[in-house]
Amino acid sequence: MLSNKPDYYALLGILRDATPEEIKRAYFDAAQKLHPDKNVAPGETEIFLGVQQAYEVLSNPKRRSLYDATLPPELETNSAVKYELIFSRPNLVRLAEPQLVYGLLEVGSREGADKIPAPPLNVCLVLDRSTSMHGDKLDMVKSAAVQLIRSLRPQDVFSVVAFSDTAEVIIPAAINWETNKREALIQFMQSSGSTELYQGLDAGLQEVRRSLNPSRVNHIILLTDGHTYGDEQACLELAEGAARQNIGITGLGVGAEWNDIFLDALASRTGGSSAYISKPKDIQRILVDKFNALISTFADDVILEYREQENVKINYAFRLQPEGGTVEVEDPIHLGPVSRELPLIVLLEFVIDPAALEQASIMLLDGALKISVAALPAPIAPIRLRVMREVHETPSSDPPPTKILTALSRLTLYRMQERARVAADGGEYSSASRHLQNLATHLLSQGENSLAKSVLLEADSLERMHAWTASGNKDIKYNTRALLLSGPKEQAR
Amino acid sequence: MIICPNCKHDNMSGAMFCVECGAQLLGEDALTTQNISTDEFRKALPKVDQDMYVPFDGRDAWGSLHLLDTGQVLPLSSRNEFTLGRISEGQPIMPDVDLSPYQAYAGGVSRLHAVIKQDGGRVVLMDLGSANGTYINGKRLQPNVEQIINHGDIVALGKLKIQVLLKIA
Repeated sequence: MLSNKPDYYALLGILRDATPEEIKRAYFDAAQKLHPDKNVAPGETEIFLGVQQAYEVLSNPKRRSLYDATLPPELETNSAVKYELIFSRPNLVRLAEPQLVYGLLEVGSREGADKIPAPPLNVCLVLDRSTSMHGDKLDMVKSAAVQLIRSLRPQDVFSVVAFSDTAEVIIPAAINWETNKREALIQFMQSSGSTELYQGLDAGLQEVRRSLNPSRVNHIILLTDGHTYGDEQACLELAEGAARQNIGITGLGVGAEWNDIFLDALASRTGGSSAYISKPKDIQRILVDKFNALISTFADDVILEYREQENVKINYAFRLQPEGGTVEVEDPIHLGPVSRELPLIVLLEFVIDPAALEQASIMLLDGALKISVAALPAPIAPIRLRVMREVHETPSSDPPPTKILTALSRLTLYRMQERARVAADGGEYSSASRHLQNLATHLLSQGENSLAKSVLLEADSLERMHAWTASGNKDIKYNTRALLLSGPKEQAR
Repeated sequence: MIICPNCKHDNMSGAMFCVECGAQLLGEDALTTQNISTDEFRKALPKVDQDMYVPFDGRDAWGSLHLLDTGQVLPLSSRNEFTLGRISEGQPIMPDVDLSPYQAYAGGVSRLHAVIKQDGGRVVLMDLGSANGTYINGKRLQPNVEQIINHGDIVALGKLKIQVLLKIA
């Protein structure tokens, strides 16, 4: 896999046509991460020296062109990952109106990933202990935390932060702490105060940063049952900072009172996702599942950097696998993690403006995938994604790929639920109710009878009471999301 | 632009599913309406003898409704016209025959669903614009159009199945 010559571009995580500014920025980022004063993992000092050498060569135009001449032609096969990007249509049609094209991006580990050892964790559990958590919920959280502590491997770094209107580090980030001591500290947790997410998130990030290391899976699991007020924007900024350092965030909401849209926005900024825990007794199972998912991480986050094209827009993105969840369309886009077992699958919706169609072919996507594989010390060269599509006079008669059709058929259900949500929030209850009734019809035809029934119940409640039932909108959202996950999996078998 | 065949919503060109109603807009197996012959279905109906009709509410009952799911028989007597539906709290609508004790809500019966009428020698059923439709032996009725029914026909109000038993003069 490794050639005898170091690939300076891969070391800096840039493409071969990078501009001098991009080279400079990549060097500063890498130097900050890998500086000998900071790094702890074996082998990182060597990488740091390589990065310095790479920068010396590439920042000098003369030396760069000499070096470029010695490079073998660019091959996509030298990477530990493989990817595939398929489209709903082979070409575009010359029309006087906007048109849609769907792309399905799949990023997975190349064969032999099971030989790479599972990465060690650096996880902080950020727990809401506001008054509303009192009783069942906090008891279940405690027993779940104790179970996680018992399942830790010696190499894992683990910390716990509890927060209400202030935050307290219950277990500081460390490896090889005595299990008994940790368990006792968990049991002493008491509920009090209100929910101020910023406090908990900030303290949790500090714990993770103490042992921040690119060869670990750095992650925060945030568990809450309430709304936070006024500090949402500050929380989102924290999440953006976390994303830049490759720290992922998972949001777990218990019960009916938390703000799922905010938690989704928070998690998706790092490529993470949110999950809904309807009953306290499920806390343990979902936390353990999340932990196991982190242990089987292949790459923490796949980042899509792209140059925005005139008249072509990525309109919507959704991750179908390994964890279904919303993907914020920004630059760069955090697509999400790749698991050792399951590749990452993201559906992208492109809108093409008629003004773009005057040329014979147009650039749909011009960007690169940046992937950091936790267990591999050397950085992986970014994968270039450059997609041109021809413009034809008549639409192609080829049917769309089955994979896209299947994925979209499920995603359509999720988006109908989203539309109902938007309509209800805007006070258009009868329109929301109609969306839900349509959704129920499709659920029934797919044999999802019990979900269809609860969707109809919500439709009725919206129409008559102009309100959702207590947890209705979350039940529907996360259950239709769960359908998405079962969809592509069946397809693969 | 693609106009959804199901709900007439304008979708953007290239869309594969209607954003409004979720119907599939392209592909080989797009949803189509099929006419299913009901002749076979008719043969499969449960056989009824004239003997089965036992009015237990005097001699004047001209028919009765046999609720197939729950087994009750509701006699139709003393008037020539009955509206069928479901009483719900806080609603002024009062059908003549309240089906709510027989899982009408779960079966999708509207508050004012259909009307059954005796008119001379024949008995007709008419859907009153119900949400989930009225069916005679599996065939959906046009709303507000009378349809003759015969002894032994299976009427479905939404999903609630009723066998109509008539006393034939």
